[in-house]
Amino acid sequence: MIIDIQLASFFTAAALIVLGLFAALFLDNLIKKVIGLAFIGDGVNLFLVTLGFKPGGIVYIFLPGMSADTFAQSASYPLPYAMVLTSIVIGASTLAVMLGIIIMLYKKHGTISSKKILDD
Amino acid sequence: MNPLIPIMVILPITCALLLNLIHTKERSVKILAIIVGIALPAIPLLANYGMHYFGGYSPLIDNPQMAQGLPDMITQSALNLYHPAITYSFASAQKIFVFILGLIAFLAIFTSLSEIKKASGVYAFLMFMGTAAVTAILLSDDIFNLYIFFEIAALSQVGIIIASRTEKSYETALKYLFLAAIAAPMLLLGIAFLLGLTGNVNITDIIYAINSGLVDPQNPALLMACGLIFFGWLYGSGLPPFHSIKSAVYSKALPHGAALLQAFSVFTFVGLGIIILRIFSFLPFTQVAIIVVSLLAMVLGITMALMQTDFKRMIGYLAVGELGYIGIGLGLGTALGITAGLFQAVNEAIITAFIFIGFGTILYKTGITDTNKLGGLMVENPKVALLVMLSGFAMAGVPPLNAFQSKLQLVQASITAGLPELGIIMVLLSIVTFMTFMKAFYTIYLRPKPSELEIKNKEIPRATIISLVVLLLICLILGLFPQIVTGQLEQLAQGLI
Repeated sequence: MIIDIQLASFFTAAALIVLGLFAALFLDNLIKKVIGLAFIGDGVNLFLVTLGFKPGGIVYIFLPGMSADTFAQSASYPLPYAMVLTSIVIGASTLAVMLGIIIMLYKKHGTISSKKILDD
Repeated sequence: MNPLIPIMVILPITCALLLNLIHTKERSVKILAIIVGIALPAIPLLANYGMHYFGGYSPLIDNPQMAQGLPDMITQSALNLYHPAITYSFASAQKIFVFILGLIAFLAIFTSLSEIKKASGVYAFLMFMGTAAVTAILLSDDIFNLYIFFEIAALSQVGIIIASRTEKSYETALKYLFLAAIAAPMLLLGIAFLLGLTGNVNITDIIYAINSGLVDPQNPALLMACGLIFFGWLYGSGLPPFHSIKSAVYSKALPHGAALLQAFSVFTFVGLGIIILRIFSFLPFTQVAIIVVSLLAMVLGITMALMQTDFKRMIGYLAVGELGYIGIGLGLGTALGITAGLFQAVNEAIITAFIFIGFGTILYKTGITDTNKLGGLMVENPKVALLVMLSGFAMAGVPPLNAFQSKLQLVQASITAGLPELGIIMVLLSIVTFMTFMKAFYTIYLRPKPSELEIKNKEIPRATIISLVVLLLICLILGLFPQIVTGQLEQLAQGLI
């Protein structure tokens, strides 16, 4: 049952990436494109989180009274989580810059249609 | 531990943050930017070769004190060899790359401070931030750390385009950022596949896991990782299908900014290209894929440059085309080929910076980039015209300038690798590069001056001329004494095969 959760999580990650790619490539509205791009990043982050998932595992914190063996056998792998935290911060920065540029372009063109703004 | 290794990244980042804080104080911005700019190429020359471990320690095998008392399941397994830290590696090749990147950054900042009437702390901040990010890409032996700096480099490049405030700079910046927002997660997904397979993000450890049989080299997830990282590499370097947006990025930046942006692309190309070769060279199609993409870049870049009337766009396409030469060298996979490719990377970064700053003098004098509206500038400033002409000669591979040596070595490498066709294509495309450049040079400098052409600035700033002379001297020195660089790069090439 737990493995099913991991599998479902992988499929969700794949669905987010595909959905995001579709929105980024085929939608005209710049804000919708940005939402699609955020979906791609979220899908990859979910993929990373799922990689670090351990069925029946515990958080990677060595609590007082815990034996080293129990910790070694049960603790989940912390590296993917650390990577996801960093990735979220970077994704947020990129998102902020994209939205900032869109605001400037909206002031200039009076529209957020990518066809009208970005096509030469 | 060598403290100067992290300083190569920490110093420009700290300087960038300080510049952002004091961006309104013009004099302080200039002083700080120049001092740190001088330090950028100096630090790699002073630093000793070695490794630096951030937030961890060296492998247990080199660290008996740490290994003492640990159970056998750790000390007797592969964990004994693993790098439990973010590792930076500094060897002879990195020394050359970081030195050249630092020098170009310094010259670009030096030129910008003299050409822009009011020194912009924000512009200098972005230049330093980008330089720090690309330096980290060159030094990092940790592929996730590399991804972080890959993103920072993309954001810095977008910032440089916006800060240039040229026509349609926002539009180009957004397009570039959209592509970054697709390519960077794909790169991260590739890294995630590697992490899932090997449990590691340290490149040396990943290679160990694959070579020692801990991971099945035929695992489809490994192929997937290769494809995704390859995609990130194409974006970061501006190879097809990203060649068009990359040349647009160069054309929307100010010439000194473009000089630095192209250096970012070249060194990102080298940094990620080396990693792809290190991890995936056992896959039979890796080298073929690199050669195919490089050939496409050369043909598309150089032929599209021939059709441009905007000289910034023309140089942008030429820069993309020249990347193909580096890729051919790496793709050949022989020691001579990789050395020649890496040497070409060093030369291209210098020459393209030389051309951008050289052609930047035309924009400074006239405010025009359309070659159809220019002409007769030879009489205005013949010495600068001579420097610009030499920059074009250098790119086309005219002796005794540096690209002649690297392109000759590339042709030799392709012949010895049994692919003389590649050598012929490279020679032909060098001739087309020469023609493209001479056509632009004739239009801008030699034909009669159009009556409506107005000269806005009579004098070229001394800092710009000094930068051009320094770059010309480096081109000459590397053209006459290529072994200064090739001897150092050969060690890396030997390690890669």
